Amino acid sequence: MVLRIRFHGRGGQGVKTASRIVGTAAFLVGYQVQDSPVYGAERRGAAVVAFTRFGEEAILERGVIEHPDLIVVGDETLLANPAAGVMVGQETATAIFLNAESAQPLVEQYALSPSTIAWDLTRRTQAIVGVASALSVGLAAATARLVGLIPEAQLLSAVRRELMELHLPEGAIAKNLDLASEVFNALPSLEFPLRDGQETPQKISSVLYEGLLRGSPSILNTGNAEQRQTGAWRLERPEVNFEQCTRCGLCFLQCPDGAITLDQNGYPIIDYDHCKGCMLCQTLCPVQAILSKQEVRSW
Amino acid sequence: MKVKREFYRSFKDLPSEEYLSPGSPLCAGCGGLTTLRQMHKVLGDNVVIVDAAGCMTLLAIYPFTPLRSSWLYTTMGSPSAGAQGLRDALDVLLAKHRMSADDNLQVLVLAGDGSTYGMGLSATSAAIHRGLDFWYLCYDNEAYGNTGFQLSEASPFGSATATSPQGTQQTKKNIFEIWRAHQPPYVATVSAHEPIDLAEKVRRAMTMTGPKLFLALAVCPTGWGFDPALSDEIARLAIETGVWPLKEAIAGQVRHTYIPRRLRPVREYLKLQRRFRHLFQPTLWGETLTYIQEQVNIYWQSVAKAEGAKQPTLA
Ligand SMILES: Cc1ncc(C[n+]2csc(CCOP(=O)(O)OP(=O)(O)O)c2C)c(N)n1
Ligand code: SF4
Ligand code: SF4
Ligand code: SF4
Repeated sequence: MVLRIRFHGRGGQGVKTASRIVGTAAFLVGYQVQDSPVYGAERRGAAVVAFTRFGEEAILERGVIEHPDLIVVGDETLLANPAAGVMVGQETATAIFLNAESAQPLVEQYALSPSTIAWDLTRRTQAIVGVASALSVGLAAATARLVGLIPEAQLLSAVRRELMELHLPEGAIAKNLDLASEVFNALPSLEFPLRDGQETPQKISSVLYEGLLRGSPSILNTGNAEQRQTGAWRLERPEVNFEQCTRCGLCFLQCPDGAITLDQNGYPIIDYDHCKGCMLCQTLCPVQAILSKQEVRSW
Repeated sequence: MKVKREFYRSFKDLPSEEYLSPGSPLCAGCGGLTTLRQMHKVLGDNVVIVDAAGCMTLLAIYPFTPLRSSWLYTTMGSPSAGAQGLRDALDVLLAKHRMSADDNLQVLVLAGDGSTYGMGLSATSAAIHRGLDFWYLCYDNEAYGNTGFQLSEASPFGSATATSPQGTQQTKKNIFEIWRAHQPPYVATVSAHEPIDLAEKVRRAMTMTGPKLFLALAVCPTGWGFDPALSDEIARLAIETGVWPLKEAIAGQVRHTYIPRRLRPVREYLKLQRRFRHLFQPTLWGETLTYIQEQVNIYWQSVAKAEGAKQPTLA
């Protein structure tokens, strides 16, 4: 048997680390394990996918998991983005885990399988670890518990190992271990009807040679990246307090993305369709006129 | 000490036009993007960028681009060769009157440090030697950012990368001096944290024909391992600790455009970044930290001597 888990999140949320922790924990239990992230043009905030497979025999499957047993979603806003492929293969999945306050509205809105479990990892991660976006350990703990094949002890040693490898300070590791225990004990274990056999890898498709004009397409438009709404990357939302703002223009100059413009009176206007929520404008504002709002709550 | 400003006295004087739209796929808080945005404002509209494979390549991926200027993508080794081809093509069109002088473009190479300090250096050296009329912006994030932060010849001593997890023993190549040894009309270091200094330098170089080379410290939250909210703060500390000197060389003559009155300890800069975390814990690598500090001190002592300026109080 092979158990297939697919993790979805945004770059910076620790989805890759979550898949590794689950892999290491399963390995410590004695399973054969494979884990891998998709590498490509992913960036902090952009959609990221990672995979963990484990089972009793050698795992000969390779590549992306198209038919997962469990789909783990670190960021519910990805459901609205078809390109993120969160729902791919949900028909065969036994369960979906969502980092969200409650499953019901999302199940209805996105026609998710009724066996969708939601738990507010962001809130607990913020409370225990102090960083709302450091979701790796919470996601791994939820996964370990839901699949039911990984005991808490192995989960905790895997968390410790992986975080030590990332050179996390001891204090931060201790907080993450607390979080892992809490999540592990708060969730139920599910029954996974395990599918025997391994999937045949997809055939490698041959690359067709295209002439220069088609093979290396030209972009004839200018500035059309504006159509990509990077505002969905945001975990925090900067808001300008106009009463305090001195119109110094620093935030306008330093926003990497040019998501701040100045109005006729020189006040900064934030373009929320595109602001990625890096929050450097908040840090640099000399008079603390930029406030941060937790974006998670407003979704 | 700051040099006297010629063109821009305050932020308000900086050009307000934008040549990059939002919506790019680069990381939140990317210092390289800020630098390009600021430099483009001064260069204006008529620019063609020749990009070397790296993070910035993600800017223009079919069918989207944030750029209002033109763009050509090359391999890591060949942006300067690409710049030569473009300059030649433009010059031919101009000479044959098939393009009006108003439509003439300035050619700008945009390359990371992996390309600039390493793979692309040979072609750049040749282009400078030929006196090619072009701009060059190296956004130096001190590693191969796009492929997962592997060591480059710009990675500073002691920094951890994907291929030097314990911290590298090699020192950062001095590309400023390598460029300067070619005797181009203009070489400068810049930082997005000092937008006026950056704009002044671009403006000063504008009247010059030939290679105009810019080296920008491009703070990289993803590779360096810090919260993107600290991007500008890290850039500021790089300057105030003296790790990133701001300088220019006009016709080979070096002058620093900012000499700090007193240097802040380099530790303040290093300790905020995951790539230096192993120097602080689990045990403190005191000797290494002292060595890094000494290198910075030696640099500024020599600056004071060479430029007859007041030496900063050392940390
Ligand atoms: C000759 C060559 N080797 C390898 C690659 C693969 N590659 C693409 S981007 C990149 C890293 C570039 O590093 P750097 O120049 O520092 O730019 P950054 O990614 O940091 O922006 C590599 C190795 C390539 N495109 N060309
Ligand atoms: S940095 Fe602060 S004070 Fe300055 S313009 Fe922005 S919000 Fe206003
Ligand atoms: S948080 Fe501020 S600096 Fe960052 S993208 Fe948004 S507006 Fe720009
Ligand atoms: S990896 Fe670093 S340089 Fe590359 S896009 Fe991200 S922040 Fe910018």
